[in-house]
Amino acid sequence: MYVYDQFDHAVVAARNAEFKDQVARRLAGELSEDQFKPLRLMNGLYLQLHAYMLRIAVPYGVLSSAQMRTFAHIARTYDRDFGHFTTRQNIQFNWIKLADTPQILEDLAKVEMHAIQTSGNCIRNTTTDQFAGAAKDEIDDPRPWAELIRQWSTFHPEFTFLPRKFKIAITGATRDRAAIRVHDIGLQLTANGFDVYVGGGMGRTPHLGHLIKSGVPGEKLLSYLEAALRVYNRYGRRDNIYKARIKILVSALGPQEYARQVEEEWASLDQAKIDAPYAEIARIKSFFPEPDYTAKAFDAAALDRAKAADPGFARWVRNNTLAHRRDDHVSVTISLKPTGLPPGDASSEQMDVMADLADDYGYAELRVSHEQNVILPHVAKADLYDLYQRLDKTGLSSANVGKITDMIACPGLDYCSLANARSIPLAQDISKRFEDAGYTDKIGDLQIKISGCINACGHHHVGHIGILGVDKQGEEFYQILLGGRADEQAALGAITGKGMPAEAVPAAIERVVNLYLELRTDESERFIDTVGRLGREAFAGALHEPA
Amino acid sequence: MSLLNSSHEPKLVTADGTLIPDGWRLLADDETVGVDEPNVLGFDRALAELDGLNGKYGVRVNPADDVRKLLPFIDKIALIEVAFPGYRDGRGYSTARILREEGFTGPIRAVGDVLRDQLLYMIRVGFDEFLVKDADPQGAIAHAKSLFDYAYQSAADDLKPVWQLRQEATGA
Repeated sequence: MYVYDQFDHAVVAARNAEFKDQVARRLAGELSEDQFKPLRLMNGLYLQLHAYMLRIAVPYGVLSSAQMRTFAHIARTYDRDFGHFTTRQNIQFNWIKLADTPQILEDLAKVEMHAIQTSGNCIRNTTTDQFAGAAKDEIDDPRPWAELIRQWSTFHPEFTFLPRKFKIAITGATRDRAAIRVHDIGLQLTANGFDVYVGGGMGRTPHLGHLIKSGVPGEKLLSYLEAALRVYNRYGRRDNIYKARIKILVSALGPQEYARQVEEEWASLDQAKIDAPYAEIARIKSFFPEPDYTAKAFDAAALDRAKAADPGFARWVRNNTLAHRRDDHVSVTISLKPTGLPPGDASSEQMDVMADLADDYGYAELRVSHEQNVILPHVAKADLYDLYQRLDKTGLSSANVGKITDMIACPGLDYCSLANARSIPLAQDISKRFEDAGYTDKIGDLQIKISGCINACGHHHVGHIGILGVDKQGEEFYQILLGGRADEQAALGAITGKGMPAEAVPAAIERVVNLYLELRTDESERFIDTVGRLGREAFAGALHEPA
Repeated sequence: MSLLNSSHEPKLVTADGTLIPDGWRLLADDETVGVDEPNVLGFDRALAELDGLNGKYGVRVNPADDVRKLLPFIDKIALIEVAFPGYRDGRGYSTARILREEGFTGPIRAVGDVLRDQLLYMIRVGFDEFLVKDADPQGAIAHAKSLFDYAYQSAADDLKPVWQLRQEATGA
């Protein structure tokens, strides 16, 4: 992992001192909420329906066991004993007292963390593949590049008051697990530099990003991004916040014209002054070595015996582990989607346990995925059964990764002041409906994504089944979308059939799923493939109860 | 943003914390341009008239104006005022930086909704004069400059980016 040097520490300490002073002035009544708002928003502090929410950056979703323990400490000491992992690989705490925030930020600084640029119209935390550095299909490791972008974008003086927030995602693998086509800028790392996609996004008007440039050399990435951001800063719309994201600019200009303007701007920049030299890139890369793999003898027969004796373990291995670039290791996903609980939440005890497990079996490293799960990227196969048994004791052994109950849901009306409808209770109801493991496994890979309003924080546009909460004359109502996906074949779902009240949704999904089971060619045809083959209209009728 | 009190008279302060008198005056479009007077022209008027004028002038640049259009007349420009109608409109930061990249060496002045919490960013992109309504403009500048000893990225100021400091520290 990247380790701070004196400069990184100094930047965070200076920001914390500044915010401490601002909080003191607010508490003393020297600043009104109106005056304080833009200041707290620069530090990840939101005022939600019931309390302050603090969003902490997990840079590109990578964290150490010590950092995870600090989250447990924050949950226990300053919140209601839990935290919520977000779709942007961050964590947020929903019940924070303003007076505690300076101390929380100080606690975080001790483990090289902060809440800088987790809100506001600036460049947000760069996200990436949760299996970076471990996945078999990786071409190049995206993490050093994400760290390079983190530093460049931190307090960038030209881009602190952009038209809207700005999100960058990078993948270095052939399978896109970072959803780069639905980001403001998506970067695909190839053997020949970066392919740059611009103008993707969800929200009210979803767009898939357009490829505007291939093969930007790594050593020129920052100046190219600077040019791309400058064109957006100058020409992005500022008259209407719903039309202010870069996707609207790119769509209005056309991707080619936008690309031409970026090219022109890039040529005008003093690139040598902007781009960190190769020595700095090499310095950052040196923080991401292969782990010091332990040569634990792996006994395949013993693993098979454990699986045969413990079907729960067998299922967990099947669903929650991913092939690793080393044959004697796997990547393990710890599902934060147990039946009937809010997606992405973890208690302080669970966070402590995950930190311990990372120390004992995972080279002290963890990741947060945009699906709101926690990953141990490198686990020796020899340790799998021990790991599973310890997870199981803490309610962390849900074996549903990638399955219908591994849902993404936004906080919804339970927390969020923008929401029209609740998301979490609906997710809980759906997970209860599909509680049966045999049934869930038979359905196979299926992603449900739920947003409580059209701002789409729950990614409903790219759910295989997307669910959008709306307000219909004061009633919470849900639209169902089919056919979306966020991977390398990214596509936007479309509203199918008529909307329905929350209590009708789980049964409607079950009818759609059962129809899929009837219509699929065989088990290898996933739900999204069947929808692709037959069209979403083939499923529209099943959404509604037969008359 | 903070400690904003609009009842304070706007004062002109430089990036090095000196209060200076403001001799410049923005002309209304129907006012005659005075010869050798410290007149600030609106952007469109500057584009239309600078070619035929002798002497040096100020130009007011609004957020939507493409400052590169002024480059043919840059020799006749003694001051550029960049307007911030609201602090959230960040186009003026690009305007200032482009001017510095293009070699403009005269003063770039931020006017409008210029608040103490923005000053550091403004200094970094090349502004060197600020018309602020702060109770203590010099204190605001001192505070802004005290916030960070280091910057991760190069901009229009003379702060070396952290990567350069690292290289120098290792003698690379």
